[in-house]
Amino acid sequence: MYGAFDISTSALVAQRIRLDVIAANIANQRTILNENDEYEPYRRRFVVFGEGDPARGQTAGLHVASIEIDDSPLNQKYEPGSPFADADGYVSYPNVNPVIETMNAMDAARAYEANITAIEATKSMLSVALQIIA
Amino acid sequence: MIDGVTNADAIPVLERMVQFAGQRHRLIVNNIANFSTPGYRAMDVSVDAFQAQLSEAVDARRKHHGASGGELELRDSPMIKYDSIGITLHPKPIGQNILFHDRNDRDLERTMQDLAENFMTFRVAADLLRSRMALLNTAIRERI
Repeated sequence: MYGAFDISTSALVAQRIRLDVIAANIANQRTILNENDEYEPYRRRFVVFGEGDPARGQTAGLHVASIEIDDSPLNQKYEPGSPFADADGYVSYPNVNPVIETMNAMDAARAYEANITAIEATKSMLSVALQIIA
Repeated sequence: MIDGVTNADAIPVLERMVQFAGQRHRLIVNNIANFSTPGYRAMDVSVDAFQAQLSEAVDARRKHHGASGGELELRDSPMIKYDSIGITLHPKPIGQNILFHDRNDRDLERTMQDLAENFMTFRVAADLLRSRMALLNTAIRERI
């Protein structure tokens, strides 16, 4: 039954990575420059989950299969005075929607809690099982 | 297995219940872990089938050995396989809930209910098993 801990823990790790990615999106929702201060608006990232835990060679559990970049159109804002404005006076801002990010963060937090509940159940079951002989 | 001691009275039945609940716990935990995995279908085994096999085995045991005890022999089914040391489960998708846009048929409430129910089943069986073990202990030490 110890394997049940691995399953729940792999899901905790994956959901926390998802929360990290969401945090990066929220932090960069107005970022239009890259790390070298060149004009390159930030693009939203999102995780893709896969079943199982290949890093530990298990078929049960959860892992982050990849972190993808969202190619949907960037938000255009009319700022003709900006040095980054295009010919029509528009500046591209990241395609991050704070409402969607907040909703995803809540979903990830709920999923995390559900796995914590499962771990608590596993712990209780193990302690009951250990009492059979005592 | 010590004949008349570890297969006496309800001990083998309780053992099977603990084994089944322990294995099923893994399935439920895996379903919880994959609540947001695209394309995942919740997997489970039939508890009713296990209960039916168990009651059938208990009846057969009573017929052959009387009420005092004896080996408990369970019949395999496609989803549940028994051997002398444990139970192997071959779960199937439940498929009772609607599919969401990510082709996952998660059902948070039912899954958490299953987790709680399965935990209580495990607890009842383990507690009863513990009282049987305490009884054996008392008999071995010959004092109360």
